[in-house]
Amino acid sequence: MSIHITYFGMLAEIAGQADESWIADENLTVGKFRSLLLEKYPRMGEKKFKIAVNQQISEDFVPIEMSSEVAVLPPFAGG
Amino acid sequence: MCMEKGHKPKKVFVQGPISPEFVSKSIASHQSKTNIGAHAIFLGQIRADQKAGGIVTGIEYSAYEEMAEKTFHEIRETAFEKFELTCLHIYHSLGVVPTGEISLFVFVSSPHRRAAFEASEFIVEEIKANVPIFGKELIGESGEYNWKENK
Repeated sequence: MSIHITYFGMLAEIAGQADESWIADENLTVGKFRSLLLEKYPRMGEKKFKIAVNQQISEDFVPIEMSSEVAVLPPFAGG
Repeated sequence: MCMEKGHKPKKVFVQGPISPEFVSKSIASHQSKTNIGAHAIFLGQIRADQKAGGIVTGIEYSAYEEMAEKTFHEIRETAFEKFELTCLHIYHSLGVVPTGEISLFVFVSSPHRRAAFEASEFIVEEIKANVPIFGKELIGESGEYNWKENK
């Protein structure tokens, strides 16, 4: 299945791109996605970030379904 | 136009700084609403912090816009449930805001002061904690920068 990933702030700098698509296993979860992400971009391991699935910040147990919009979010700085 | 509960989500983001003229026009546009007895206004201003590489000259804001607009809408709905409000407006900058200029404008109106004070604090804290907005602190003249993080 295909998922679309968007990176923001310093994480887009580490990824070298603002977004990309991955082909992933059907039984993907946020936790599994996080390990795949750190495998691909080890430098993200030094950063704090949250993962949003379809615009909802999600814990590791949450499944990522087909065509989900996944966003990797650095610390917030609004205000 | 007054932003009341249950209304369609309204655009929060503006490009660049929020001008004092815009703030004053917003106040003027509420003078016909005579059920209002108290406005609370919160303005976030860019500070010239001293960093290792020099002084902060501005912040360049970006956001996960769709999620941010959704989160702003949820904050607005919650504020209307928790406090006795007549209207509520939130504006936040995107792009570069130089030091000394305004990047956040929260405008809360109520029949009474207590609700206005409390709601404005609630809204600002919610924005800082939960809205996916990112800020690059621009430092000195050399193109250096630092990613900001809310405490």
